Amino acid sequence: MDYHQLLRDSLTRLPTVAATIDSIRKAVQDRGEVVILYFNFDRYSKVEEVYGWEKLDSVLETTGEAMREFLTKSPLGSSKLMVAFPNDDDFIFFHVPKDDTPAATDTEITELTAGLKEAVSSQIERVHGEDIASLFDIFVGRSLVIYNPKLRLERQIYRGIREAANASKSLEHREQAKKVGDLRETLRSRGLYIEYHPIVITDSLKVFGYEALARGSLRSMRSPEVMFEIAAQSDLIWDLSRLCRDRAIEGMTKLLKDGELLFMNVDPADFADPSFDVNALNVKDPTRVVIEITERTAIKDYPKFRGRLKEFRDKGYRFAVDDAGSGYAGLGSIANLEPDFIKLDMSLINCIDQNFIKQNLVETMVRFANEHGAMVIAEGVERKEEFEMVKSLGVHLVQGFFVHKPSSNAVTYRPPIQPAPALAEGAK
Amino acid sequence: MADSAHPPILVVDDNPDNAHIIRDYLEARGFPITVAYNGDDALKAFEEVKPSLVLLDVMMPGRDGWQVCREMKQHPTLGRGVRVVMVTALDDWVNKRQALQTGADDFVEKPFELSKLASTVERNVKLLTNAAAGGSPATSR
Repeated sequence: MDYHQLLRDSLTRLPTVAATIDSIRKAVQDRGEVVILYFNFDRYSKVEEVYGWEKLDSVLETTGEAMREFLTKSPLGSSKLMVAFPNDDDFIFFHVPKDDTPAATDTEITELTAGLKEAVSSQIERVHGEDIASLFDIFVGRSLVIYNPKLRLERQIYRGIREAANASKSLEHREQAKKVGDLRETLRSRGLYIEYHPIVITDSLKVFGYEALARGSLRSMRSPEVMFEIAAQSDLIWDLSRLCRDRAIEGMTKLLKDGELLFMNVDPADFADPSFDVNALNVKDPTRVVIEITERTAIKDYPKFRGRLKEFRDKGYRFAVDDAGSGYAGLGSIANLEPDFIKLDMSLINCIDQNFIKQNLVETMVRFANEHGAMVIAEGVERKEEFEMVKSLGVHLVQGFFVHKPSSNAVTYRPPIQPAPALAEGAK
Repeated sequence: MADSAHPPILVVDDNPDNAHIIRDYLEARGFPITVAYNGDDALKAFEEVKPSLVLLDVMMPGRDGWQVCREMKQHPTLGRGVRVVMVTALDDWVNKRQALQTGADDFVEKPFELSKLASTVERNVKLLTNAAAGGSPATSR
């Protein structure tokens, strides 16, 4: 990497601190003080973990653009926005007030944060979709650097940046504590509803089933990822899972018509919950319920886990491996679970029309599924080209914004359709 | 001169015999070829030549093909526009997953047949041409 690449971030086209330190130094001297705002984007690491680095690169590009656009229009427009390091996912903002205006107050900063959050999050939703936007959160820490000729200026500025970063972290922790409260309230009031995301037969586009997606009624609990993250931290996973299951099954009884399958997410850890019992679930016809188990969570006690699966299978429940291909485990671990459905990890579907390795992997998975009497589901199909590619590779079922968005009254906008007989046979 | 149907290609292989066979074969088909024999030289050539396509051997002393691929794909200015084809037998799921995580776009098995190599180059060039014509991006994101 050339040294000049260290001075400007290629994704956001923003300068780095190193590139602007001279002008900041001058501003502190001339003005006597500058306000530093540190923007800490919560869960960008999660985006990278789930979708890969290329996706976060592209999200950061959008973030940079949206921030620049918003800040140019705001009263703080004359200030400087930058990143700490090239390709980093936090942003720093030096607010140097004009000579005749006082530095921004805490209230102004709070308003700025709210406006910025809205602007960036709506831009992210527009470009990258709801799922990524729902993970978005921003914490802005503030610090003030006051010119002190006794101290070296750069060090004062660097300390200011660290102080603002710490302030944003403590805000994040406070917010986290508040979210634990929101989750407890959600559990207490059973404030959770289900959106049903259609899964369609690739060839006919007819609805085959619905995946139940839990959404908290409270705004802070809208994203299932956030809810489950908070639940894991506060040891409430079983309680939350129980509520999600109950709600999904209630909806199934009320909303899904004959022949439609319910795909329900269950964490491997839930199988250790004594109340997750095959006889305790209020399901009339278990053959219409598909339990989705994510490949992302490590299964600790394999023989015991398989034993639990068998209890459910014997009652007629079917299984799907979710996020298949996300780990390094390969096909062996999938075969071990003897799934009826294999749901491909979204990262394999994203831009599959342009990547021949992804095409090869999906082709392998389809062949494997056909040999084992399972069906492959491509989720996250967002573009026509992706749909056409997975169709040509023989993927049996498709789910994604290209075909349908999730909805809380799924069955009213699609007539109930029986799975095609040939496919139903293929699904054991 | 490079035209859109024959963009510049960088061939990276520590075995000169292999590299030269690929170079001669693709040159005969009209592609401007640059050859590098190790990872460090490949990255230098990458910045100089700005190839649209890289054929990258995996097993090389020093920086291996995976590392080189990752660095090319994460290059601040050139990373977006390049397609990288790994020249290796990606024989199992794990290898292919690993290849995807470095950002690779395609692979051709080694030892390769020249006709297979040509068709692999052509299908990647076709996507580059589509992108140049204003279609979807040339590399997956």
